[in-house]
Amino acid sequence: MEARIGVLICDCGQGMQNIDFGALARQAADLPGVTSVNLSSDLCLDEGTKKMVSLIKDENLDRVVIAACSPDMKEHIFRDMLEKAGLNGNLLSMANIREQCSWAHDGEVTDKAADLLRMAIGRVRLLRPVEHREFPVSTEVLVVGGGFSAISTALRLSGVGLRTTVLESEPVLGEGAGEKEDLHGLDRGSMIAAAERDGNIDILTCARIASVEGAPGDFTVTMRTDGTETARKFGAIVLATGFRTELTPGPDALIDARELCSAGVVSQEQLLGMLSNLGLEARPAIVGFLLDLADENSRFTTLATLNNALAVKSRWGSEVYVFCKDVKVDSEGTERLYRETRECGVVFLKCDSAPEVTVDNGKVRVEARDVFLGDDAAITCDLLVAEELPFPVQETEVLGSMFGVRLDSGGFYQDENVHLYPVDSERKGVFFVGGCRGNWDIVRVLTDVSSVVTSVCGLLCPGSIQVDVEKVRVDPQKCVACLTCIRVCPHSAIQLVRVDSGRDAAVISDLACDACGVCAAICPAKAIEFEGYRDDEILAQIEAVG
Amino acid sequence: MMMDGIIVAFCCERSGYPAADLAGRLRLHYPENLRVIRVPCAGRVDVIHIMKAFEMGASAVVVLGCEEGACHHMTGNTRARERVRYCDTMLREVGIEKRTAVMVNISPNAPHKFVTAAVETSKILEDLREAR
Repeated sequence: MEARIGVLICDCGQGMQNIDFGALARQAADLPGVTSVNLSSDLCLDEGTKKMVSLIKDENLDRVVIAACSPDMKEHIFRDMLEKAGLNGNLLSMANIREQCSWAHDGEVTDKAADLLRMAIGRVRLLRPVEHREFPVSTEVLVVGGGFSAISTALRLSGVGLRTTVLESEPVLGEGAGEKEDLHGLDRGSMIAAAERDGNIDILTCARIASVEGAPGDFTVTMRTDGTETARKFGAIVLATGFRTELTPGPDALIDARELCSAGVVSQEQLLGMLSNLGLEARPAIVGFLLDLADENSRFTTLATLNNALAVKSRWGSEVYVFCKDVKVDSEGTERLYRETRECGVVFLKCDSAPEVTVDNGKVRVEARDVFLGDDAAITCDLLVAEELPFPVQETEVLGSMFGVRLDSGGFYQDENVHLYPVDSERKGVFFVGGCRGNWDIVRVLTDVSSVVTSVCGLLCPGSIQVDVEKVRVDPQKCVACLTCIRVCPHSAIQLVRVDSGRDAAVISDLACDACGVCAAICPAKAIEFEGYRDDEILAQIEAVG
Repeated sequence: MMMDGIIVAFCCERSGYPAADLAGRLRLHYPENLRVIRVPCAGRVDVIHIMKAFEMGASAVVVLGCEEGACHHMTGNTRARERVRYCDTMLREVGIEKRTAVMVNISPNAPHKFVTAAVETSKILEDLREAR
């Protein structure tokens, strides 16, 4: 049966002056299969949508091309419009004549618009309907980790009514590394107490994950506690395993100094202890800090250094020197903190190479060339606070391969585009929060926690997930079970399953699939079809150019 | 040929496509001979798609994927890079020297880079045309 294609052209409220819409409509009407062409200027608004719904019904259209703005803007509205008119939402193709035509070029661009329209019509002829299905989901959430980020996440998730399980490998909560910087008025102890009191939060300590299977809304996690394994269902999993810190520049340069002068070189944590315990009579007269010796200083180290330098100055009144290459102030409020630190008398010595740390008469001596003074500065400190850098915790790698998520070059979990997918991993339903992704500070952790609560709610709170059924599909007749797709699938969505004929074939989980088409491109047997981006649909667009 | 002078740009819907949209919104102008084909990931672009464009007479094919290390689908962009390189080599091998296939890594918020890619591809074509 000949297709009945309806072409709807919208001028976006006369937002495209360099296209002759009359001529465009006439050109479209001459194309084979095009049953009706309509001009509109408010297609995405209620009134326009209603008109189009009745038009699709009246003209008995079976597929629709819309030439208007970018599909990134309004495609979902138009898909709903089709569904309202009784058509499958996938039978829509859009020609982006606004952002990628009218607005991108000077002068008359009707010809290009007609070309884009022809490409969309070429594609729409081949589109097939894709059905949706509702999958019920488990509304329980698993939070892996027991530090600040994990506890904050659990409290917030419980606050929106989601049952949350916190799984910590250590015997107690709150043993993370990230708590050395100012917690912005948050009290870790009372947070842990609140989590323990909360009826919506289960806390499992000394527990580890043995295996993970399944798709978003329906993960089966096997957990090991005291040698016993239990399997439980979760709808979403949040990894908040945090980070650990190491003194830098590593053992070689500083350990010697530490051995020779045990009280002379300390970590930030030791300094915090001394600040609260040391009597005023024992206070050190000169305190040095090292910062940014490796070329990439971390946000939390910068904040810890500035906060602690300020505390040393105000509580002990010592002379304070910070040896640094640069102070990076990209965390919220750090610029102000830096100014405050300088104004109260902390001296920053900016050196272009790492300062030399030696021991002289039982005291630590730091020598560096200050680039502003243009001269060598040598300071003998009573106390030298070494720089600490964040490193991934040991379980990061194991969990990473278990969950099928990538690590970055530093061994942390790879973060996604910070604007579009702030807490997402490449596996749907698995999220990251906080320092397990590396260079984080408390403000960023709190932002992450809000983002993850929003994402998890969006996924689980409706109680079911709507998925496209077989949008990407393996033809079991063509599949030769070569496992190529299973190897390359970035979202662990493909499994080998025994099909009716007694052979093995790859099967794609609709829930886990993220519709990237990597498998469709790589399949040597061309057995995988990605509806909407099938080979013939892409080729038809190319053939329609010109 | 029908498509002579046309640049076919396969744009990943998470990077190249939003970058192209943003270029339009900012009224950054680029050569009119560019035709964008939206793909879900640069890794969806297969050799057959690129070669089809050349068969139809396109002067250049640009594949725009995410920055390396930032592909939402992990390795889609690096797979695309390999395929583009393969196609470009194949063109040279069969003696088609005035056309080219180019891979561009781009962020969704980099409209200027999109324009640069379009302009530079046109420049490459010009250079190829002038070369003997």
